[in-house]
Amino acid sequence: MRILVVDDSTTMRRIISNSLRAVGYEDIVEAGDGQQALQTLDGVNLLLTDWNMPNMDGLTLVKTVRSSAATAQLPIIMITSEGARDEVMEALAAGVNDYIVKPFTKETLGEKVKAIIR
Amino acid sequence: MDANFINPFVSALVNSLETMLNITPERGTPYLKKEGQTQGDISAIIGFAGPNVTGSVALSLPTPVALKFYSLMMGEKVYRITNDVQDVVGELANIVAGGAKTELSAQNITFNISIPTVVVGPGHTIGHKGDIPVMVIPFEIGKHRFVLEVTMKLE
Repeated sequence: MRILVVDDSTTMRRIISNSLRAVGYEDIVEAGDGQQALQTLDGVNLLLTDWNMPNMDGLTLVKTVRSSAATAQLPIIMITSEGARDEVMEALAAGVNDYIVKPFTKETLGEKVKAIIR
Repeated sequence: MDANFINPFVSALVNSLETMLNITPERGTPYLKKEGQTQGDISAIIGFAGPNVTGSVALSLPTPVALKFYSLMMGEKVYRITNDVQDVVGELANIVAGGAKTELSAQNITFNISIPTVVVGPGHTIGHKGDIPVMVIPFEIGKHRFVLEVTMKLE
C-alpha cells in the first residue's frame, strides 16, 4: 500500500507522513508540487494532495491524473486549508474521492484513508 | 472593524492550535495597532483579496512560542528558529487564513489567499495592506504572549 503525499510545505509533508505511519501506513513517498507528483506516481495506490502549490497546483494535478487511462481510477484525497463549499464542490467535480480540511487529527486522516482503500 | 469579521480568524487560530498542537491559548482583549513594529520574533503574513474584500492576517510569535509550536507539531525539539520552524509558522498562518475564509464565505465574503511570507528577527515590522486599521488580538500560553493581527476592508 504505497501512498504519495503532495504538499509544497516540507513540514506539512512530514506531519502527514508521520500521521500515516502512526496509524499503520509505512510505504510513503513525497512530492513538493503537482509536477513532481506526476513523476512519482509509479506504484502508488493512494494520492494525498494539497491544493495551493507552486508550479502545478493540486486541482490541476487531480485533473491530469484523472485524464490518463493509467491513473484514472487512482484514489485521491485532497488535504487543504480551502474548506469553503465552492472549493469542495470544485475539487469533487475534478475527481477527488474525499476532502480533508486542515487542521486535522491523525485519527481523522487514518479513518479517511481506511475508508477510501477499503 | 466589525467583530463578525475578526472572530473567524480568532476561532480558526484557536481551532488549529487545539486540533494540531493540543493546546488552548488564553485570549486577551483586542486593540487597534498604533505602530508598525510588531512584538514577535517571527511573523507569518498572508494577504487576501476578493470581489468585495481586501486585507491581511499575520501571526506573530516570540521565539519560545514558535519553538514550542514546532516541537508540538513535529514531535522534536529545536533550540533556534530554523527554516523548518519558519515553515511551521507559515503553515499555521495558512491554516488560520483558510479557516477564516471558509467561515466568511458563509457570509458571502469570498477571497483568495496568498502564500505566507515569513519574517524573522526582533523588532521587525509587518506591512499590512493599505491604510486600513489593524486589529491586534493578543493570546497567552503560559507566561508567553503572542498576537494575531487582522486587517480587512469591505469594498
